[in-house]
Amino acid sequence: MNGYGGNILRVNLTTGKITKEPTPPELARDFIGGRGFGAYFLFKEVPQGADPLGPENKLIVSSGPLSGLMIPGAGKCDFTCKSPLTGGYASASLGGLFTAEIKYAGLDSIILEGISPKPVYLFIEDDKIELRDASSLWGKGTFATEKELKEKLGEEFQIACIGPGGENGVSYAHINHDYGRQAGRGGVGTVMGAKKVKALVIRGTQPIPVADLDAYRKAGMAMYDACKKSEMLKPWQNLGTTMVVSWCDEIGALPTRNFSAGSFEGGKTLYGPYMREKIVVNDKGCFACPSPCGKYSRMKRYGTNVEGPEYETIGMIGSNLGLAEIEDVAQANLLCDDLGIDTISAGGAIAWAMECYEKGILSKAETDGLDLKFGNVEAVFKVIEKIAKREGLGALLAEGTKRAAQKIGKGSEKFAIQVKGMEQSAYATHSATAMLLAYMTADVGAHHNRAWAITYDLQVGRELVNADKVARVIWLQHIRPMFDTLGACRLQWVELNLDLELYPPALEAITGVKRSWQDLHLVSERIWNLTRLYWAREQPGFGRAWDMPSPRFYTEPPKSGATAGKITSLEDVNKLLDVYYEQRGWNANGLPKLETLERLGLTRLVG
Amino acid sequence: MSAKLHALGIIKSYIGGKSEIVVDAGNTIRETMRALNIPSEIVALVLVNDAPQAKEYRVQAGDVIKLIAVVGGGVNEFRNE
Repeated sequence: MNGYGGNILRVNLTTGKITKEPTPPELARDFIGGRGFGAYFLFKEVPQGADPLGPENKLIVSSGPLSGLMIPGAGKCDFTCKSPLTGGYASASLGGLFTAEIKYAGLDSIILEGISPKPVYLFIEDDKIELRDASSLWGKGTFATEKELKEKLGEEFQIACIGPGGENGVSYAHINHDYGRQAGRGGVGTVMGAKKVKALVIRGTQPIPVADLDAYRKAGMAMYDACKKSEMLKPWQNLGTTMVVSWCDEIGALPTRNFSAGSFEGGKTLYGPYMREKIVVNDKGCFACPSPCGKYSRMKRYGTNVEGPEYETIGMIGSNLGLAEIEDVAQANLLCDDLGIDTISAGGAIAWAMECYEKGILSKAETDGLDLKFGNVEAVFKVIEKIAKREGLGALLAEGTKRAAQKIGKGSEKFAIQVKGMEQSAYATHSATAMLLAYMTADVGAHHNRAWAITYDLQVGRELVNADKVARVIWLQHIRPMFDTLGACRLQWVELNLDLELYPPALEAITGVKRSWQDLHLVSERIWNLTRLYWAREQPGFGRAWDMPSPRFYTEPPKSGATAGKITSLEDVNKLLDVYYEQRGWNANGLPKLETLERLGLTRLVG
Repeated sequence: MSAKLHALGIIKSYIGGKSEIVVDAGNTIRETMRALNIPSEIVALVLVNDAPQAKEYRVQAGDVIKLIAVVGGGVNEFRNE
């Protein structure tokens, strides 16, 4: 099948049985690949009510039809499972060099099933596929694990592995690759750890069949040429995602002290240009990337190096914890990466604990003797390690902010900054209604990557609530996740303004199937509704209440900064949902109507 | 005593679709943007002679200023909505 590896690999960890089956053409037609394949297999094969950490849950790793080919940023794969953090749909995207090897090994998806009786790593070298003993690696950090496997097997193998966080069941453990790229959110690393899989090791040498080689070359080169000519290329490569730190601080979107404000008085030493000058030593790109936005940093104060920090980590571990020095944030980033936990959720959970401590809800005895005030960098380092080890306070925070707040109570639920159990990523949404709606309705919980709508708020009026704004959020929720379906990075479109119309000709040349953006939108909408149905199937009573944001954003206006005195009213929050549900073809409780499922061709799959 | 202001992406639409205009030296970047009705809150990054500068930077004669907006996906889609 043109554009595809052609096979689905199933690894039953309980029995050790490894099988391959051809990738069904109708699956490629209806769900394309990547996140689409993940959502399909999750809904169809993981039984209702499965324990996220039990043998019935599956970890599904999927490339897309663009992956591994000479298309800008075409090195993305998707990790899907039932989330141990939220109990719903989890999907995390991984960049780096891993995905191309999946395709070169003749695969589209790798499905891990069951639970291994002992620690293993999955070894794939084309058709040589084995489960190998990983007992000697268990307990090691991600960097040591990757280094040891590379030294043993060779640099040409690509490795994705977990750290102690994943082994110990931290609900938001990540999967680390290439010493600094992560499938970060929703606990995909927790599920891999529960299955006793320390690492995925892969190398492929097989060609990917392409329908029209000349047209593919031309379409691909047109995309690279456009990227090269983009006037945004140089500034984007210079700063990457850190470009927006100062901007977020200025507009009141930089999460500060557990999202109690959106501007940080110590923000200047977190800004992108400051970081570039102070700690960045090199740029780093993923597979086939013409615009490397990753940054390698050297922290002289600690004598260490890290890839990062990205904007999200600067927001969640920096300003949100009251840390004002970029070197400290980078060091915390390094700890999280090596220990295998998501910096966004870790930052959210620690910020919640700091606010509890400052309000007297958590005593010093309950913080294991730590003076857990905002800005205490040593305490942050210690708490990160405690979380990964599930030790003392860390055991509470390893559950995620929602469950921790439910356990502690005393009003702390009101400042648990999460939606559907996932900690909100690094945009303060007191006064940015499109971005607030994006967080409320994102299909994995409060994550920004489904719809980065805050720029639209600033263009049309940040407090405005109307049908156009809602339509923009839905439009973004279809376009941005489509990149995760195709297996390519969205940042060439987002940051370099690469013309969207360059993608369909490339996709057609590769797969031989003509698809317009209208068609791609329909597929994206199909996936979006399927993940919504997954939530409804797995969570009794699922509906509107699950889409509500943290009360902080409609009850507690910031006291300082650009958004001082501003919040979104509860009436507007509900209006946003009303209009959103109507435009999506969902009922007033946020569940897809039958005619919507029929229009999207989902009725047979969902029964 | 003048400087050049180079517009990237959607900033062009605020200066009549031009790529470059001449601005007075002596004002801050923020004052310059205000005079041109360019909303400060859509500008993520200011480069002066290719080096990042704060919006409080005072424009010098001969400077080349670049204003970079945040868009978040497609300039054309952003402005044509």
